[in-house]
Amino acid sequence: MSNVAGSSLDTFLAALELLRSDAAKAVAEAADNAAVEAARIEFAGARSGRLKAVQKALGGIPAADKPAAGRHFNDTKAAVVALLESAQARLGGGGAERGESLDVTLPGDAIPLGHLHPITQTIRQVQEIMGQLGFESVDGPEVEDQWHNFEALAISPEHPARDPLDNFYLATARAADPLLLRSQTSTVQIRVMESREPPLRIVSLGRVYRPDTADATHYPMFHQVEGLLIEPGTTMAHLKSVLRLFASRFLGGDVHVRFRPSFFPFTEPSVEVDMEWGGRWVEMGGAGMVDPAVLAAVGYDPDAVTGFAFGLGVERIAARRYGVADIRDFYKNDARFLRQF
Amino acid sequence: MIISTSWLADYVQVPATAAELAERLALSGLNHESTTVVDADTAIELEVTSNRPDCLGHLGVAREAAVLFDRPLAVPDPWPLEGAAAAADRVAVVIESPEICPFYSARVIRGVRVGPSPAWLVARLRTVGVASVTNVVDVTNYVMLECGQPLHAFDLAKLRGGRIVVRRAGAAEPFTALNHKTYLLDERMCVIADAERPLALAGVMGGAESEISAATTDVLLESAQFAPLPVRAAARSLALASGSSYRFERGPDPAMVDWASRRAAALILELAGGVLDRDAVTAGQLASSPAEIGLAPQRVPEVLGIDVPLARQRRILVGLGFQPLGDHGHRWRAPTWRRDCTRDIDLVEEIARIEGYEQVPEDVGIAARPVALSDREQAVRQAGAVLVGRGFCEAMTRSVVDESLAGLASPWGDAPPLVIAPPLVRGADRLRRSLLPSLLEARGGNVAVGVDDADLFEIARGYLDRPANADSAAGPVDEPLLVAFVTGGDFFRAKGLCAALLAKLGLPGGETSIAYHPISLDPFARGRAAEILLESIGQATRRVGVVGEIAQVARERFSLPGPVSAAELRLDWLAVHLAGTRRLVQPPEFPAVARDLNLVVAESVSWGELERAIRAAAGELLEACHVGQVWRDPERLGVGNKSLLVALTLRSRSGTLTGEAAAEAIERIVAECAARAGAALRG
Repeated sequence: MSNVAGSSLDTFLAALELLRSDAAKAVAEAADNAAVEAARIEFAGARSGRLKAVQKALGGIPAADKPAAGRHFNDTKAAVVALLESAQARLGGGGAERGESLDVTLPGDAIPLGHLHPITQTIRQVQEIMGQLGFESVDGPEVEDQWHNFEALAISPEHPARDPLDNFYLATARAADPLLLRSQTSTVQIRVMESREPPLRIVSLGRVYRPDTADATHYPMFHQVEGLLIEPGTTMAHLKSVLRLFASRFLGGDVHVRFRPSFFPFTEPSVEVDMEWGGRWVEMGGAGMVDPAVLAAVGYDPDAVTGFAFGLGVERIAARRYGVADIRDFYKNDARFLRQF
Repeated sequence: MIISTSWLADYVQVPATAAELAERLALSGLNHESTTVVDADTAIELEVTSNRPDCLGHLGVAREAAVLFDRPLAVPDPWPLEGAAAAADRVAVVIESPEICPFYSARVIRGVRVGPSPAWLVARLRTVGVASVTNVVDVTNYVMLECGQPLHAFDLAKLRGGRIVVRRAGAAEPFTALNHKTYLLDERMCVIADAERPLALAGVMGGAESEISAATTDVLLESAQFAPLPVRAAARSLALASGSSYRFERGPDPAMVDWASRRAAALILELAGGVLDRDAVTAGQLASSPAEIGLAPQRVPEVLGIDVPLARQRRILVGLGFQPLGDHGHRWRAPTWRRDCTRDIDLVEEIARIEGYEQVPEDVGIAARPVALSDREQAVRQAGAVLVGRGFCEAMTRSVVDESLAGLASPWGDAPPLVIAPPLVRGADRLRRSLLPSLLEARGGNVAVGVDDADLFEIARGYLDRPANADSAAGPVDEPLLVAFVTGGDFFRAKGLCAALLAKLGLPGGETSIAYHPISLDPFARGRAAEILLESIGQATRRVGVVGEIAQVARERFSLPGPVSAAELRLDWLAVHLAGTRRLVQPPEFPAVARDLNLVVAESVSWGELERAIRAAAGELLEACHVGQVWRDPERLGVGNKSLLVALTLRSRSGTLTGEAAAEAIERIVAECAARAGAALRG
């Protein structure tokens, strides 16, 4: 390349032309990205490329010819760069539109993701499945009176469930009808039945309160979902079938349910409900036919309508589903816990 | 209740293994807890529901097994030999409080030799987890575990005045129990006393003074009925629960009171010798009038959805002790040990649990019915979606808080918080009026574990000590449904989130507008908080939310690095604005005219005032009006003034807005701002 140093404009232009044709040839012959890259280094390399060498020769051009020489140099440089880029595009390599290539392994912008509480997610799923079965979601007050929490549910004054030590009673002046935090969401079913006529299909859900000492499986505040169906001609076969549909959808697959006799004041017959989960029978909650005394208490005719009710403990289901060993974790509100769901 | 299988075999021959027996019992109502081999015997622990006191004895469980496996039941019929002397000549029984002790009987056995029990008795008691004491005491325990009727044996020599008096305890009356601890009783409780002092806490535990000892020769054997409530009051408040109190709380079979007394007397004579005085001394009446129950044959399929043949129904009921009245199987009398059975539905349940619920089909369809989410539920979901979409995590904090937390915020009324007893957890006995303190505490808890940026929200009820609205779904007190959140950042971040929440709920809307007024309210910083007011046509303006930056003192309390902002809104009041389907408003077809104004006003003029002036002047032409930069420059604007850059978008719905019309509108706006707020247009 030293032959171009200190030469005239013509010599300079000839060198440029040679460079351009050599570059065109090299680029045309380049069969892969490595060859294009080699050509790029040979012609357009920043330190010792041929363009750089020719550019140095510009200094030796007489002053009068310098503008023309510069213009030709720029044209040639642009042509070479365009040749290289078209070769890269042809071979599918490179890709940087303009400027530097990205380190695509760098992280994207941090977009914070919010999360519903796993208890809410469990409740929503129950609501959704029950909604498909025609059950409407309802809620109701958490501070209740004796009628809705006990009497209408056929829980007599002597019943141990009404013991002051087993409930959170309010320290108000209403001695005749002390108020308390509801111990079950059946209270909502009573309120709905009092204000609406059958047929009725509802799921009541929300917080309930019982003075259990907090441990891995108990918490004095927890959530219940309770279903109620009141329609003429309802039998325990309907109850079992609805629970099986629910279980199949909730747990996945064709799940069977099992009834074990139990005792609740507001249902008769009363059963514990087991569902097959992971090859085992797992207790999911209680159920039964609504006791005629409850139907009468809300002003329905027990000879004309029948119905069933069932209740599920949300924490128990959620704990099992999400692998939470200690239900107290649901109420710690640790973001490291909440962000996992 | 723990059952010994070898003991059970005294009454029924079960053709099954212990495991099969346990499963059949579980599927018919006696839940299986565990099975343990004890020496040559097997112990099966069963969970007995509170309506089945009959199964708190081996005989009751044997009756269930006999029906389940269709085998005969053999019940002992004890008639111990009596001496010539009458028990009534030695002891009298007086019931002073028949409402808590309807019936009391005493038998007297004299000349017993108190000593160890025979091996068979010790073994049976050990299987069911009861330690052997002496032959006399063991017999009372054995018979209770056999038939469910608790018994008590007194040392007759310790009885003063020859009298048993059943009465209520006096206030703070002292009593030393078998465990040699002294308790102070109260009037809710019932005692068995002699002429002078209490000898036993009725139905719960005997006394130390009159207990059977090696020196005892004459025994008074008590078999009685006690009401559940006084027994429970004593057992619970003195923490003295016993096998006896457990059974009396549930009501043993009245027909077994005398049976148990005879059975125990016979066993004492057999194991400890002595002479039984003639007749029991009794007081009171045994109330037992089992219900007559009609059962229409179609009732069983109507409830269960399966047919159980009439003969099978009869066999089940007879096996369980129900007595047919007449030949048709339509009328029945319940056995004395099944006072929980009074109605046809109760008989249906008996038939169902013996027949087996596995017979009930699980593939019966129900008719389809459409359902919709209520406005309230929709509002809950919309609010949650907005906050989750902005990176918030949903928290669930306790509804009940301690006094200091409860006092920290009450945006919805100043009445003191409602108090509960016992506390939910230690110290927490106030129903919260606001979710904000709990959320601040939760954020602080996260900071403590190294998560400084926990953005949390919660949707839950508050509790206010005032009557609820006359809404059918409302309860005895006002329970507003609240959505609250806590986040990092300043007032404007929290306000922006509030605006997004409100917008998602349809606010402001056609007939409603939202305004923000400054307030002073804990736990917000002074001058950096607002109440959110909902103004609806034809309705009083009301506070639907509060928003602001958290005061430094509150941040320090929860160790929160600043700044922290928070808000709480009345979701129940906002939800009503969701009602109805949204109607499309066609996007505008004519071009808009954008104009920026620099308005200089006094520092005291709020953006809200200026915005109202602009909106009033522009009328329908105003599509949007935003405030941009606010700057202060005493030299150029004058001391005490500020300049607001206001970006206006004007557009007509009926045609392209002409330059003249836009200029006119701008002129009106500037004039109105000048008139209402003293605003001047800056070059």
